[in-house]
Order: sequence, then structure tokens, then C-alpha cells
Amino acid sequence: MSTDLRRARPVALVLGVLAVILAVTAPGFFSRAQLAPFLAGTAPVLVVACGMAVLMVTREVDVSVGSQFALCSVLLGLLLGEGCPPALGIPAAVAAGALLGAVNGALAAGLRLPGLVVTLGTLAIGREALRWAREGRFVQDLPPSVQWLGLGQSLGQWALALAALAVATAVSLGLQGLMAGRWVHAAGSDPAAAATVGVPVRRVTFGAFTLLGALTGLAAALNVARFTDVDPKTGAGLEMQVIAAALIGGVSIEGGRGGILGVSLGVLLLAALSPALVFLGIPPEWERVLQGAIVLASVAGGTRRAPGRPTP
Amino acid sequence: MSCAAGCKPADAPAASADGTRDKAGGPTIALMPKSKGNGYFVAAKRGAEDAASELGVKLLFDGPTEPDPARQNEIVETWITRGVDAIAVACENREAVSSSLRKARARGIKVVTYDADALPDARDFFVNQATPEGIGNALVDEAARLLGGRGRYAVITGSLTAGNMIEWQKAIERRNADRHPGLQRIALRPCDDLKDRAFAETTAILNAHPDVGLIMAICSPAVPGAAEAVKQAGKAGKVRVIGLGLPGENRRYLHEGVTDTVILWKVKDLGYLAVQAAHACLEGRLRAGATRHDGGRLGEVRVADGQILLGEPFLFTRANVDQFDF
Repeated sequence: MSTDLRRARPVALVLGVLAVILAVTAPGFFSRAQLAPFLAGTAPVLVVACGMAVLMVTREVDVSVGSQFALCSVLLGLLLGEGCPPALGIPAAVAAGALLGAVNGALAAGLRLPGLVVTLGTLAIGREALRWAREGRFVQDLPPSVQWLGLGQSLGQWALALAALAVATAVSLGLQGLMAGRWVHAAGSDPAAAATVGVPVRRVTFGAFTLLGALTGLAAALNVARFTDVDPKTGAGLEMQVIAAALIGGVSIEGGRGGILGVSLGVLLLAALSPALVFLGIPPEWERVLQGAIVLASVAGGTRRAPGRPTP
Repeated sequence: MSCAAGCKPADAPAASADGTRDKAGGPTIALMPKSKGNGYFVAAKRGAEDAASELGVKLLFDGPTEPDPARQNEIVETWITRGVDAIAVACENREAVSSSLRKARARGIKVVTYDADALPDARDFFVNQATPEGIGNALVDEAARLLGGRGRYAVITGSLTAGNMIEWQKAIERRNADRHPGLQRIALRPCDDLKDRAFAETTAILNAHPDVGLIMAICSPAVPGAAEAVKQAGKAGKVRVIGLGLPGENRRYLHEGVTDTVILWKVKDLGYLAVQAAHACLEGRLRAGATRHDGGRLGEVRVADGQILLGEPFLFTRANVDQFDF
């Protein structure tokens, strides 16, 4: 836990500075009316980011999560529209996500193809499939009972945030405490050495892709629950958001290290940027610039610390 | 799938080779959407059919199943071979389809574009559904009407860089300054053409600017996104929502009184006018340099710079939205 805390320190610092600026100049940011929808909307991103962090620790990456997210959202929307109860629809979305993740995992681990290349392909295929199937049409008028998981808006908003927090906690504990978590770290730090001590490296990679897919399916369900329509373009750009959050949160692009606490703060920081600019009255052109600067600063900070690590 | 060398009509008039420029029942006009199944173009086709039966024209309708410039070229080539008299195309890509349209014109086929233009030398006329001024004026006038001439509004745009969005934003600013000085735009936010992002942006605007009176969403997914945010904030009716979008995506919000007005053109009339224009070109009633065109049941419409103007945008409201199915 202590290394997790140490890695999270820089992002916590930046997030803290932003929070202080907002608290002084725009306290409305912390009103319930802003915070509840903000956290509910950030919950799905956090769930995907947890899966992405695990995958990145194995030294892989998946840029197709945006189209997985959209495919699962549309599937769930169509199921719910046909009268399927959420108790069946949500597991179906998770299963569909796991399947999409498993396809990526099989191609990357099974055929030993770089995950970046594989998922660039599946990203495009997923988006084109949706465009062909929906031609931009929303899945409309989901039954109102589906919204907020049937809990009503104010309770539902907190339920989504808590669900994401529970996922983050579980992934964090698993990554640190379980055998599988140690395998993930070992596979990412030095795959050859890990294999010699009996870590099933390719199975670990396959499993991490599949877990990310399943979490993306779950995230899609949490997002669908906020609305009554599904936009088939939903999740466009999600991959960059979660990869950037992972990097900011201290996950190494070279694999082997990373913790969920930092990633969670990274998700919050990136998600808060856009509404913060609205509250601070800063023109929107600055958003991408600031995002880029934050990612660069955190990656630079990470590599600066790297030589301090004992070299193998 | 491809119509490469094999079916390319060389220099010989291949049209007469297969013997059928069917003159029997009047001219043949071929209409192409960006994509066939899209409800927007299905509505346009219905208008085109009306015009065809009024004029005694044989109407062909074909297009890609999904937006695909290469497929549009193939279909134009097929139509050239078949020897149709006029072609009306909604171009998926301005440059891509222009070469085959030029070829069609070289064979004496009249070409009009509608909804989205080709390069000007590749067609006789463009049936333009709305100018930036038309859109900007309609949006700002409607905002002024709803706010009683005085108040603050925020604009949600699709992107800060897309050419058409920038033109609309400028037209909005001009109309605001010229006619409605009591209106003040307090924020402009991009939503990347995503409904969910439009929701988040609108939520932040509502909380950061409690005095905002109206949200103006100028890309189609942003209109329902903004409406949902206003609704969830419990501000339906207090903060007005208007925008440029499809009536079908906003039907529920219009009926619930969250969204007041959705602005678009009558797509059916666009298809109708495209066929009317193609027919007028064939008959020589419409030539380069014209300033007026007899738009059939639409009456006389303006023509300027090779563009036939459909006219003012149409305002979809709770009262009329159910008459439209796209």
C-alpha cells in the first residue's frame, strides 16, 4: 500500500491544487447539483481505467475500449428496449465486453501480436460495425424503470459512484494481494524471468484483456443507467482518457508497476478539467493543452524517478 | 462489387449499346442518398417520389447501405452506363464523387447535388437546404422570442474546428449583435458530437452560471444531451433548450416541455426540390445564371451562385413534431 500511496502523490498534489482553486473561486463546483452528476458520470470511466491499469501493468495496452464500450451500450439498450430486465441485461453487457476483450487477448497473447496493433484494428472494426448497424440512430426511449437502476435519480447517482469505488477497491486489493496480482506485476516487469519461475505470462495477458473487456461492459451498463437513450457514438475517445489517467496515476508505460489509487485520482483529475474550465471561465481551447501538459509532466516525473530504482 | 475496367463505358455511347434510354414514359431521374437506410434520406426520398409523380418522371433510388464515397462513385458509373437523364446526389465526400459526376455531365446527363455539395464544376446546381445565415438567424430569433428579448444563453457546439460549425457560430454572433442586443452569450462549449459529453457540459454550465436562461445546441446529438441535463437538474421550463437537430431524437423532450424548439429544414421538401430542379434542368427551364426557380408546390424559390435555396429553416415544436417521422 505504501508504494501505491507514493505513486499517487504527484497526481494527488495537482488534484489538490485544482480543488483549492475551485473552492476559492468557484465553490459552486462542490454543490450537490454539480458533484452528484459529475461523480455518476465519472464512475464508468473509473471502472474502465481500473481494467486498463491492470493491462498496462502487464506491459500491454488496449485502444479499442471506446468501441467495446459503445457496442456493449447499444447491445444493452436494445435488450432493455425489448423488455429484458436489467438483472439479465447488465450481466449480458459484462459478458459481451468480456468476449470482446477475450478476442483482443487471444490475438495478442495467442498469436503474439502487439496489443496496440490488434486493438487499433478492433477499434476500427467495432466503430464501423456500429455505424453500419445504427447509422447514427440512438437507441431511444428505454423503459424509465431502467434509469438509475430503478433507484431514482439522487440515490442512483450515488449508487453508480459507489459501484465504481467498489470495483476500484476490489481491483486494487486483487492487484496487491492475490497470486494473480503478483503474476500481473511479474509478467509486466520481466516476462522472460517471470516465465522461468512458472508464471503463465500469456495466460496472464489474455486474462488482463478479458478483465478489461468485462469491466468495460460493466462501465457501459453504469453509463446507460444515467440516461434513457443510447448514442451509438458513446465512448469515443474513452481509450485516451483512461490511458492518460493511468499514466498520470503512476502506471508505467513499460509495465511492471502501477496502483489503482493513483489511477483513480488521475481519472478524477482529467474528468474535472472540463467542468473546471466552465466554472473558471477559461476558453475551451485550453482543455486539450492542459490535458497534454498534465500527462507530459506526470510521465516526465515518472522517468525522473526511475533511475532511483535498483537496476536489475 | 467493383465496376472497374469491365463495365466502364469507354468512348462509345454505352448507354445506347444496351438500348434503353427509356424515353417511353418520360425522363429518368436517379436519386442518391448518402446512405439508404438513414431515416433522414428515407424522408427525402418520399418528397422525391411526390415530385416524380407530379412531373411524370421515372425515379431511380439507390445509394450505399452505409456512407461510402467509393460506392457512390460506382453507382454513378452504373447510372451513366444505364443512360439516365439526370442525377441528384447527396455527396458523402465533396472531392471523391466529383470526378464521376463530371463524367456524367460530359455525357449530357444533368447533375444536381442536394444536402451536401460536390465541387461546383461537377454539377449544374446544388439544392442548398440552409445557409449559415438562415440557421443562425432562426436560432437567435427563437432564443430572443423565448427569453423575451433579454437574457443569457450558452452554446454547445459539436467542435471548435469543424467548418460548418464555425460558420454557424459566426452567423449566431452576427444576428445577436445586429438584432438582439439584449441577449448575451456567456459560454461556448464543444461536445465532440457526443450526447454524453453535451450532457456533462450543460450540467457544468447550469451550475456555473445559475442565471443562464437558454441552452442553444448546434450539433444534433447535443440537443437531447442538453435537454437531459436540464431535465435532471430539475430546471425544465426554467432553462429553455433549443437547437439544430433531428425531430425524432427530440420528440420526447419536446412533449415533456424540456426542449422548446428544434430547428431543421423539411427534409421531404429537400428531396422534392432536388427532383424538381433536375427536371427543370432537363427541360431547359433552369439554366446557369438563373435567379429564380419554379419549385412546384413549394412555389418560387431563390437561386444564387448555382445554389437553389430551399428557404428558411423549419421550426419543430411540440405542436407539429408528430407529423414527422425522421
